[in-house]
Amino acid sequence: MTGVNPNPAVFLVMANGQIKTAEFPDCDELYCRFMFVHGQDWVVTSGLEEGISQFTHKSHDERQLFVWNFPLNVTYKSTNPYGWPQLVISCYGPDAFGREIVRGYGSVHIPITPGKHELDIPMYVPVSTSRFQKFTSWFMGRRPEFVDPKVVSQGEGRDVTRVRSQGHVKVCLNIVTRDMKKLGYDVTPSDVTSVPVGVNAGI
Amino acid sequence: MAEVHIIGQLVGASEFPEHSLFCKWGIHAGGAWKLIAGLKEGQTQVDNPENEEFAYWSHPIDVHYAAKGLQGWPRIHVQVWHQDSLGRSELYGYGFVHVPTSPGTHKIECVTWRPIGTMQEELTQFFVGGCPQLKNADLIYSGADRYKLRTTAMGKVHLKLNLIFRNFDKYGVEC
Repeated sequence: MTGVNPNPAVFLVMANGQIKTAEFPDCDELYCRFMFVHGQDWVVTSGLEEGISQFTHKSHDERQLFVWNFPLNVTYKSTNPYGWPQLVISCYGPDAFGREIVRGYGSVHIPITPGKHELDIPMYVPVSTSRFQKFTSWFMGRRPEFVDPKVVSQGEGRDVTRVRSQGHVKVCLNIVTRDMKKLGYDVTPSDVTSVPVGVNAGI
Repeated sequence: MAEVHIIGQLVGASEFPEHSLFCKWGIHAGGAWKLIAGLKEGQTQVDNPENEEFAYWSHPIDVHYAAKGLQGWPRIHVQVWHQDSLGRSELYGYGFVHVPTSPGTHKIECVTWRPIGTMQEELTQFFVGGCPQLKNADLIYSGADRYKLRTTAMGKVHLKLNLIFRNFDKYGVEC
């Protein structure tokens, strides 16, 4: 780490953790693909922005669990919290005929407060618009999917999609930030018992 | 100037009578607040859950406001709609909640209500669907003429919001 900077221009956010487990009642085998999506003011300084996990089978006990234990590690620098990074996960697996189809998309913002966070990400798939399309997609193995998984991290264009939510992915992330306080950003409530001295009057 | 970042998600909805729900949401703030970046309104996808009672939208919210005063603190208002298999939409509920006033991560439950009409209207609604709607959407988050409404309770909308404040302590604001 470099020395103390009295006038920082950027703040850093480091996220490390893992994609722990998933629960999908209707699937038997899955692998997942993750990517970190961020705004224009954010730059990745180290770590991997995307990756693919191993292929895992559902456990045959009463837990019915998929375990990936897949490491996540990324460090960002930014000038502006707008465009805070999101983790986008997409899960794929074989259907009854062995063809690979998408089983779920999900996204979550990485936490803003330093510390350890357990996140539960609900997953959903787009659905066909008509019954006939549903049948042909089941028959041909070409289910509806998003052209770019990043769409689930954006707000625009979602009002015309119909989805079916099925399953959850559990992720654990540890967050460390640097210089956010020096730039004036507060991510935790202030201590109201102590009065700060030398305060500007009025806004 | 003080700045507020609202970063989070409209997670989903629970306890509504039917599935296949979507939500139109918006953020309303007073005159002292200026929107610098982000979308302050939107519409989520339609979700029909496979295994659960909870409908998940996971709709991202990322808004950056600059504040010259505390009055008119932003409020998020939601309208939950139900889309049936034929593609028709009917209103299921209105609700609003203030954006929390302390930085950090907040899990918020927004309760919703819908207007009810006369006995005949309720009877037609039972068979045909649809429900009375507000002519002026401002009534969702203002108390001004509420006494004229008769309403009934509907389900809950869940939000998870992270708030980052900037320069509030410079102005002596404790939050």
